[in-house]
Amino acid sequence: MMRKLSAWLSAYIAAIVFVFCAAAPASAAETEVVIGAIYPLSGQAAQVGVDARVAMETAVDIINNSYDLDLPLARTAGLPNLGGAKIRLVWADHQADPQKGRAEAERLITQDKVAALVGTYYSSVAAVVGQVADRYNVPFVVVDSSSPSLTRQGFKWLFRISPHDEMMSTAMFEFLKDLNATKHIDVRSVALFHEDTLFGTDSSNAQLKLATEAGIKVAADVKYRANSPSLTSEVETLKVANADVLMPTSYVNDAILLVKTMSELGYHPQAIIAQDAGYTEPSFLSAVGEMANGIISRGSFSLDLASKRPAVKIVNEMYKKRSGKDLTENTAKELMGLLVLADAIDRAGSTKNEAIRAALEKTDLPGDKTILPWRGVKFDATGQNILATPIMVQFIDGQWRTIWPFGVASHDVVWPMGGK
Amino acid sequence: MSVESVAQVIASGLLMGLIYALIAAGLSLIFGLMDIVNFAHGEFLMTAMYLTFGLNLLLTLDPLALLPVVAALMFLLGVVIYRTVIRRAMQARTSVWMAQIFVTFGLAIMMRGLAQLIFTPEYRSIRHHWLSDRSVDLLGVYLSLPQLAAAGVCLLGFLGLYLLIARTDFGRALEATREDKEAVALVGINRDLIFALGWGIGGAAVGIAGVMLASFYYIYPGVGANFALVAFITVALGGFGSLGGALLGGIIIGLVEAITAMLVEPSLKSIGIYAVYMLVVLLRPRGLFGYL
Repeated sequence: MMRKLSAWLSAYIAAIVFVFCAAAPASAAETEVVIGAIYPLSGQAAQVGVDARVAMETAVDIINNSYDLDLPLARTAGLPNLGGAKIRLVWADHQADPQKGRAEAERLITQDKVAALVGTYYSSVAAVVGQVADRYNVPFVVVDSSSPSLTRQGFKWLFRISPHDEMMSTAMFEFLKDLNATKHIDVRSVALFHEDTLFGTDSSNAQLKLATEAGIKVAADVKYRANSPSLTSEVETLKVANADVLMPTSYVNDAILLVKTMSELGYHPQAIIAQDAGYTEPSFLSAVGEMANGIISRGSFSLDLASKRPAVKIVNEMYKKRSGKDLTENTAKELMGLLVLADAIDRAGSTKNEAIRAALEKTDLPGDKTILPWRGVKFDATGQNILATPIMVQFIDGQWRTIWPFGVASHDVVWPMGGK
Repeated sequence: MSVESVAQVIASGLLMGLIYALIAAGLSLIFGLMDIVNFAHGEFLMTAMYLTFGLNLLLTLDPLALLPVVAALMFLLGVVIYRTVIRRAMQARTSVWMAQIFVTFGLAIMMRGLAQLIFTPEYRSIRHHWLSDRSVDLLGVYLSLPQLAAAGVCLLGFLGLYLLIARTDFGRALEATREDKEAVALVGINRDLIFALGWGIGGAAVGIAGVMLASFYYIYPGVGANFALVAFITVALGGFGSLGGALLGGIIIGLVEAITAMLVEPSLKSIGIYAVYMLVVLLRPRGLFGYL
């Protein structure tokens, strides 16, 4: 009985192997460009990776097939300058661990021979992948990791399409200044609350500096341990400091715990101005429910943008069909990031690393050819997109609304945010 | 720093400590009974939290009402895991210790993977129940109702476990088996059955902890890891196999963690826990109430 079973099993495996081998030559021809995507597909941020995958597969669909959208490579099928070559993504899981990120980046480069890398959500992982990319001379497009230090380490092969946290924090303080000037809301003190990896530390350093420059008192600067079982002592410290505005920087699980603990301890600042990430994730919103009302976040995406950029609505539908969710800040950047990279490879007309890098350096994409509220995509010498202008959004009546710059706002800012 | 905020931190630390103790109880019981460290303990907790979440969604019953159901299901899971996985690993001819470590470790990874496959990695939480997001205000000290309820259930659970072990024939058989695994067979105790029931009770205990935790904490496939390490430290601090030790160990850890976060820096709060643990290991390697 066992022998018969194992005979069947080996025949079955042999059949599968045969089918794969037979199929391989067709897809391995020169008609495709392979790009490596490094994301957390398991571990505490797995949902981010899973969503990123859907977003980027949507981008691949836009590139490889033809759609009537005002986006790079949408109207053609494949990359026209490479004879209609298709984009194929190879996925790697970094599990939010920089060491795993390094190993996976090396695997993608040496074994899968990828033409370029994209990723990685976690700034701490992007920092080591940047090193690997520089060692192997492979272009690395950072689409959603926001630590300022990533573009300040002199990486030659790293390009970042999204604004970094210092640009974002600058926007937050300009927003506060504008609030005072036009709406007579005078914020005198802020409390910083940030997680203890690269993302949180860099964000709070920038905010500390900007607050001092703006003459705003930093009443508390709480660095907390990510994935804590409890944040009670931390919230008690914030409550005692009693600042006008709380500025948190967290990934999604800590964001949930923070907002719940704040409600339990009866701590209600005038406003929460969040450094995006956890606070704009759909799972955060569904976990905390009405407690999310009035939270302000920096951002570079909001669905109400559809009135100015018609492509936003159609792309959102395409994404929603695959994931059941609307596009968010992160997924919009991931989708757009791949389009920018593919556009550069097409302009390079080759998968040679130097050619792609030169094309990325020459990128000059106007804002209306993106799904983001940016002025466009254009990299400076450090690889940072200098046309990525941040906006401020607020969660009002179950939706993210653009509230700043006041000129493009779709809703008036709600201040104070309220709460029991 | 006002008196209120000190009282707040101590009260919250105490509540959290009782929850740590409840999570550690099952781990301590199984270890005491058969010298097996269950590395999948955190994943048992995660399973119980998902069961609570799923049943709450399906039956729209309050988590508190689901307590006996989840405890019973987790009892079954404990027995099944013992019968299928652990008993086989114990029959290894060489390096039985290693086999046990790796088998529970593998079990942990498998359970986590399965959870991600079935439930997706999305963060879940139980939003609406009797106690949800409510707290009582005692002279400026806020106590969250779900955590208060969890602390109460913890004390009741420990009382129940104590009575079970100290006052029943089954408890005496359990104690005897832990004293001498070979001799009990001679007096007619079915060792295999005792082990299976031990795993069942351990599973039910962590099941109860999971229900209470699910009423205020977020749920995702890796959630067990946030608590498993604390549970191991709790058991080691209190003394392997000692229920009273687990209770006291949990309370000490909850308090030390909260006070370190307040006085030193929140990002260093686990250092306080490990410092206390190292101290205990240096002075009394078997833990506060260890019998070894």
